[in-house]
Amino acid sequence: MGRIRKDPNLILLTALLGAALLLPLAIRSNQYALVLLTTILLYGVLATAWNIIGGLAGQLDLAAGAYLGLGAFTTGTLLIRWNVSPWLGMILGGLVAVGFALIVGYPLFRFGVKEVWYALSSAALVEVLRVTFLIWSQVGGPVERYLPYHEWSLYHLRFATYLPFFYIMLGMLVLALLVNHWIRQSRLGYYLMALGENEEAAEVLGVNTQSCKLEALAIYAFIVGVTGGIYACMYGFIHPNFFSGPMSTEVAILGIVGGLGVTYGPVMAAILLVSVRELLRAQLGGQLEGLYLVVYSVVLILIALFRPQGLGPLVRQAYGRLLSRVAKE
Amino acid sequence: MSAPILQVSQLTKRFGSLVALNNVSLEIREGEIFSIIGPNGAGKTTLFFNIVGLQKPDAGRVLFRGADITGKPPHKICDLGITCTFQVPRAFANMTVEEAVRVGAYQRYRGREVQRKVDEVLQICELEEYRHQRCCDMGLAPLRRVELARALATEPVLLLLDEAGAGLNPSELAGFMEILRRLNEEKRITLCIVEHVMQMVMGLAQRIVVLDYGEVIAEGTPQEISTNPRVIEAYLGKGAVC
Repeated sequence: MGRIRKDPNLILLTALLGAALLLPLAIRSNQYALVLLTTILLYGVLATAWNIIGGLAGQLDLAAGAYLGLGAFTTGTLLIRWNVSPWLGMILGGLVAVGFALIVGYPLFRFGVKEVWYALSSAALVEVLRVTFLIWSQVGGPVERYLPYHEWSLYHLRFATYLPFFYIMLGMLVLALLVNHWIRQSRLGYYLMALGENEEAAEVLGVNTQSCKLEALAIYAFIVGVTGGIYACMYGFIHPNFFSGPMSTEVAILGIVGGLGVTYGPVMAAILLVSVRELLRAQLGGQLEGLYLVVYSVVLILIALFRPQGLGPLVRQAYGRLLSRVAKE
Repeated sequence: MSAPILQVSQLTKRFGSLVALNNVSLEIREGEIFSIIGPNGAGKTTLFFNIVGLQKPDAGRVLFRGADITGKPPHKICDLGITCTFQVPRAFANMTVEEAVRVGAYQRYRGREVQRKVDEVLQICELEEYRHQRCCDMGLAPLRRVELARALATEPVLLLLDEAGAGLNPSELAGFMEILRRLNEEKRITLCIVEHVMQMVMGLAQRIVVLDYGEVIAEGTPQEISTNPRVIEAYLGKGAVC
């Protein structure tokens, strides 16, 4: 027990979590700030999940939007048509995303589609799904489908305030981080890191690279799919544009900027970049459309130039220095 | 004479019009140190890749202890007890030495046993001081030992080493050979070494096969090979034997 209590990592994490829990108190009922914070958490969850396939296993996946959309449509459709609670719906949504990931992932990995080709194939998936759902009028179609309105219903996961979604998303983030942490220290994690570095070398050491990649893809798709269900409830509608290419790319960018394979890197990247982006949009959006994207890209380019290994290692160094200073005193 | 552990029979591998292996047959016996030599481009690495399953042969068979393993995927062949190291080290650049060896150790162990295996292998390969160093920060000599350690952690019965001595200075080479000799004698691991460094081949191998242009041109003990006119011709060209 004594060792656990003294572990500085654990103290820091508990402090951060506590601060996050209390954050809504500070901003009271400012709905804009709540949406902003929840969006940061959302991207944090997506990028943390992406870290499993993209960071650890080194597969440049650009299909986050596909799994998010599938989760959202499963949850939304079940609620609208059959009044199925989103709590169940989001789990089913996650499973649908996994099913889809396996159907697509099996042939991709079986025939050794790698690197740029994997990136392009996964990016295409998002667009294929978007168009499919635009045409598929029974569940999708070009018009938004609204989820039933409720002032406050836990069963329907519908609330007149964003506050509950902030906490649900925070819970998802903690889960995603725990899953990441657990994989990182498991056999699967070592296998993923090895195959991400060199596939043939991993193979002769007994790693079934094909099934490891599929496992990683399935875990990632499940987390993103479940998050999609929450996403639909939070915004109160579903639309084929949920299958978003730009969003998928952004998730990958956050994962890369955070530092590939660093468990907490993507979250830090999400906190930094998503808030920068949203602030820029709020400040510059009214002056010239798209101007915020220009500034945002400059920030990305600067990070790529000066911190090509990502933000994760930077914070790790600073944290290490802080710890040693505390230890001295 | 001990039983064969690996039999390669009439193996052929083509890349387009290039015949990298032409009807190659050879036999490695249980417990020995076997060597494959030959000039550059003779097909040595291709032969290794076809044995461990990284490439599939166009014709011929590979038998491991009598069972056909031709064309099986590498991870299955590793599970049976055959693995290899690479000519150009394929380090897991961003992993520490300990982590890299761990990948191999998971092949046969779970839980705490994994760490025990890792420690054992690191000690054998004299890598304990490098334990927490990242592979990309290491020199060639220790990196070659990391490749060896990774492979050893999978507990192979037959280990294929592809030019593991290349680029090592004489004292590093002597140390490396000593480790290999110990593995063969104490752990009873059958070794198959592909090598250009003659000092290593002549010092370790009990039997040698010579490949040239994808074909076996000679087979025998180190003494027999070093005086074989066809071998000298393959290395030095016609007219070198007078």
